[in-house]
Amino acid sequence: MLLLDHVTRRFGSLVAVDDVTFAIDPGEIVGLVGENGAGKSTLMRIAAGETSADAGTIRTRSIGFVHQHFALVPRFTIAENLALRRRFGLVSKKRIERLAEETIAASGIELTRVDRLAADLSVGEKAKLELIKAIATKPELLVLDEPTSVLTPIESAELFGVIRRLAATGTAIVFISHKVPEVLAIAQRIVVMRRGRIVEDRMAGGRTAEDIARAMLNLSDSHAGELTRRAGAPAATQTLLHLDNLTLRASEIVAIIGVSGNGQSAIVEAIHALHLEGAAFIPEDRTRDALVAEMTIAENLALGAPRWNRSEAGTAAVELIRRYGIRARGPNQLAAELSGGNQQKVVLARALERNPEIIIASEPTRGLDIESTRFVHERLRDAAANGAAILLTTSDLDEAFALSDRVHVIYRGELSASLTPEEAERQAGALMAGIA
Amino acid sequence: MKQIALAALAAFIAIALLALAAGAFGHSPSAVLAILFEGSVGSSFAVRETIIKSIPLLLTGLCVVIAFRAGVWNIGAEGQFIVGGLAAMLAARYGVAASFLAAAIAGALWASIASLMRLWRGAPEVLTTILLNFIAIHLLGWCVNGPLREASGRYPQTDLAMATLPRLGGVHFGSVLALIAAIVSWWMLYRTTEGLRLRATGFNPAAAKFAGINVAAQIVRAMAYSGALAGLAGGIELLGVTHRLFERFASGYGYAGIAVALLAQLHPIAAIAAALFFGALSSGAGELQRSANISATIATFGQAVVLLAVVAFTSRWRKRDA
Repeated sequence: MLLLDHVTRRFGSLVAVDDVTFAIDPGEIVGLVGENGAGKSTLMRIAAGETSADAGTIRTRSIGFVHQHFALVPRFTIAENLALRRRFGLVSKKRIERLAEETIAASGIELTRVDRLAADLSVGEKAKLELIKAIATKPELLVLDEPTSVLTPIESAELFGVIRRLAATGTAIVFISHKVPEVLAIAQRIVVMRRGRIVEDRMAGGRTAEDIARAMLNLSDSHAGELTRRAGAPAATQTLLHLDNLTLRASEIVAIIGVSGNGQSAIVEAIHALHLEGAAFIPEDRTRDALVAEMTIAENLALGAPRWNRSEAGTAAVELIRRYGIRARGPNQLAAELSGGNQQKVVLARALERNPEIIIASEPTRGLDIESTRFVHERLRDAAANGAAILLTTSDLDEAFALSDRVHVIYRGELSASLTPEEAERQAGALMAGIA
Repeated sequence: MKQIALAALAAFIAIALLALAAGAFGHSPSAVLAILFEGSVGSSFAVRETIIKSIPLLLTGLCVVIAFRAGVWNIGAEGQFIVGGLAAMLAARYGVAASFLAAAIAGALWASIASLMRLWRGAPEVLTTILLNFIAIHLLGWCVNGPLREASGRYPQTDLAMATLPRLGGVHFGSVLALIAAIVSWWMLYRTTEGLRLRATGFNPAAAKFAGINVAAQIVRAMAYSGALAGLAGGIELLGVTHRLFERFASGYGYAGIAVALLAQLHPIAAIAAALFFGALSSGAGELQRSANISATIATFGQAVVLLAVVAFTSRWRKRDA
């Protein structure tokens, strides 16, 4: 079925989607890959009628869309959030909870206790709820925008099972991601976008992560996706922070891994509440906790600085935009207008440029493309090499094992003993599930 | 600029509806418009009247701009205006400057009651400030009926204040002060560290917090600036216009400040134009009452229409931007 026919969409001078035609068959699983800002999300938002196109034809289909950012009512329960799509009728608590349980059971996704508030759910659970919401409308096409970025490997596997079941019943699926191995595992056809255009559209069979990454990046020889392990941990030096059995020392990267919602954010909050001088934070939720969308890049970069002078901040911002490779029109562009990866670079630049003694980085590469991820990793390593103590909470296990000197596993608010990355790699599964 | 066009459109709709409403009560809309025009900008007397009415509107408007920019719903400009007037009355014997200082401090402290209640008990300002308005109104009522009642005891009002603002081309000196306040507010918001932090707190307190800003302290300070501006408005109104306190001293200037701030889209410089517009509406409405016997409360109707139009349009723009 044809979805989009020669569609173009501009944002100012940027051509986000450039003359794209896109079709999908019922029951087909298509992986839509590309770097941040390649136009993947915009393309699908046009298909779903969430944003308009400047040119081209759009065929209307019933589309379920699971966004990268959650669209839940925090103070409503799971059942109430699911009941929102009902158009009319009387509601009683008992009835909507029964309906919610039925909807959840039909979706094949595990989510219990429908009387819990959305605000109290872990990120992974919120993602599940969003997915259930989208499936409940029985759409012809289901679009998943970076669905696994918030999920643990186990949850991702669960999600893939759900996707395959849906496809088997005839639902067409578009899976937006830049995690190439994942897309290879699930998609039958892979569409690669670069700078608003579809540059490749082929069946997945026989393709390798290597050549897809190359198409995304337009590189001749790619070392994309490779995470190199940090060379030898430095001899333990000065202890900068001690909190229960968590110790942060200068020049050391400590990772906390675990299923999201097991108390990672409580630890970050506890450290924030200490009001340490010289601590910088890279919050987990960029748009909620890190950036002021309505303010400019220059203003965001200067936020929290002891003194601010508009013209000096502008000059400094030009320099940081260059050094951190932030793709922006200039220092006075609003933060809201940047793509996710470029927003994260702003957050990173702000945190690192003050030469903090301690860096608390929560999911610093969530939703970022390969290039940006590698950049973030390099900067964090540089900071550690320059003497900073870094705490990294991440749901990307490869990232944790590659970057850190020591690893803690968190389960129901309890931190495991300190492990070497090698030990953690062997024991993580059991520890994360609370079995060990 | 979109925003200016939008504000102008809101103002235009207000005037048009006002004329139509007058038409519904048997007056010719064109005659009503002519009187409104005559009464607001048609003569030098009318222009002075408009400017005098705009001065407290600009200051209470700035009060609301600063608070809203910090994300605080200060609906209490009315009460802060009143305590400002009371403090100015008491301090007037020490001169104009002392009187204004007292007015600003009183307004700041009165607003701080609300922010302290937020800190201690999490009480929302939108409730506490409006309740503090009622307390201020009754405090003023008690004062002018009791301890501050004029020596002759004839009316429930105070004696003349012991200081008067100098005049400047037929308009009291408060006009200059209000303009300076607008420029200083703009400068503070957009050119100082304090302003950067205040705006960040208003837009996204969580991000402000993680960037290292003490959000609670920021809100307390923003409320204090905000209250000081409304308090100053009360002091200026007393020494420049009414020269006495009486029960209806504030006469809605605090609430009208909300309309000014929203029409100005929370921009301090735009607030000058918004205040002049509402000032003109108010002096024009006075003329309507005198020459066409239409109640001057029609100005309030105009304010309400502008508010609704601005709110309707801005939510429309937001939707489109998303």
